[in-house]
Amino acid sequence: MEKRRLSRILARAGKEQVRQLADEIKSAYSPVIVKAPEKSLTMIRMREPVQESLFYLGEVIVSEAIVDLEGAKGIAVLMGDDFDKVLDMAVIDAACNKGVFQRYDVLEQLEKEQTHRLERENAMFMQTMVNFQSMDSEVTP
Amino acid sequence: MAYVAVSGGEEAIEASIRLLEYYRSGTEKDLDLEVIEEKMSLLVDRVMSEAGLYSKTYAALALKQCEGSSDEAVFLLRAYRSTLKRSYDSLVADTRNMRLVRRISAAFKDIPGGQILGATYDYTHRLMNFELQQEDAPALCQKMLQEIEGQEPVEISPCGRVSDELKAEGLIDRFEPDDQEPFDVTQNLLEFPAPRSARLQTLSRADTGFISGLAYSVLRGFGQVHPTVGELRSGYLEIDVPYLEDPAESLWIGEILLTEVEVFNEADDKDQLKLACGYGAVMGRNENKAIAMAVLDHELNTTGDYPTQNDEFVLLHGDSLEMNGFISHLKLPHYVTFQSKLDAVRKTRRENHD
Repeated sequence: MEKRRLSRILARAGKEQVRQLADEIKSAYSPVIVKAPEKSLTMIRMREPVQESLFYLGEVIVSEAIVDLEGAKGIAVLMGDDFDKVLDMAVIDAACNKGVFQRYDVLEQLEKEQTHRLERENAMFMQTMVNFQSMDSEVTP
Repeated sequence: MAYVAVSGGEEAIEASIRLLEYYRSGTEKDLDLEVIEEKMSLLVDRVMSEAGLYSKTYAALALKQCEGSSDEAVFLLRAYRSTLKRSYDSLVADTRNMRLVRRISAAFKDIPGGQILGATYDYTHRLMNFELQQEDAPALCQKMLQEIEGQEPVEISPCGRVSDELKAEGLIDRFEPDDQEPFDVTQNLLEFPAPRSARLQTLSRADTGFISGLAYSVLRGFGQVHPTVGELRSGYLEIDVPYLEDPAESLWIGEILLTEVEVFNEADDKDQLKLACGYGAVMGRNENKAIAMAVLDHELNTTGDYPTQNDEFVLLHGDSLEMNGFISHLKLPHYVTFQSKLDAVRKTRRENHD
């Protein structure tokens, strides 16, 4: 599973859901904390559409943790200051890198639920789509 | 009466700081941070935007700490931010992929993807709702959760920009992607003429009232443009950082709520009329600030004598922390400098009388 997908599922998951996945790994292996969770900043780089140039919008607070699981490194970076969750995410990442993570079925189920939740919310916003009743045709691009 | 330099006042200052607690002690009810975050979200958005720091929880905490003063809250967040190191620059975030919650155009009624009103006060009657004095907050929360649960899922699909169509038609200039590293106003002293990246970053974190007033002056005639909002969109922008162990991979660290605006105005080319754009992007839901930013972005591309065409004037006077700090310093003791002024006035008067 791509790191972006893995981290998105875990970031959107509840703290307890992530903890359960990490606890299964911790019960079978002994991950060592390489970098204890700490807060730092990430600067957001954006591209503006007028001249297609880059600019900085501002910063977000992130928490970052690194663990070692029998020679395999695990890295997690997450917006916010939830140290427990980011450490658990790093453990899961290390297990994936080590090739010992078994619960991809749980991740896929979580992803499915997350997508459905967002799509149901999206449905509410799409109900505000304007249906124009026009008398003349518009000169459109 | 004599004016002299003085020192002291430490005990009075300490007592004054303690007295701030008194102003937050008028009720035994606590102000939960979650409540500020969820029910004062537009204020939280404004503070995050002006601080240049996206953290709803810390913005809520800052507002709680300073009795809801937006400029004090910005000060607190900026001060806290300065204690943290910066670990990452994000990968380039592309607003074309935003998960939209609102998208409108004042230029075209039919736009690809449609116009989505989302949540807006634009069409509300501005009448006080006295029922909110006795609101059943748990019932409201449950009602909305049930409403979401009852929805038939609708796939989320990104929308291209209105300006993309106009660019394809040649009505707006097209540029190749420019990957030059942006200027960072938090790390470097601004110089003029300011690079475009510095302009956008400065305007995005500027005081909402300041840039709204400046944009208003442009529209009233102290400027060159009366643009049309080609597109206004709010939504969630996904933020990624590089995965340090493998450059081919990235980590999804979360998403931020953002409002983005493009305005269009007529512009002269050498031999034909075309459209020029202004761009605004701000953290959170703050539409007027994003529109004002876009108006000023466009105005700063024009030349003339209006204040809003002077980038030093626009970019150096709208930072919430700097302007409020400087104005605030006027009330601090100036006993020595004022005595000097007074001496000069007295001396001149004496000389005139002699």
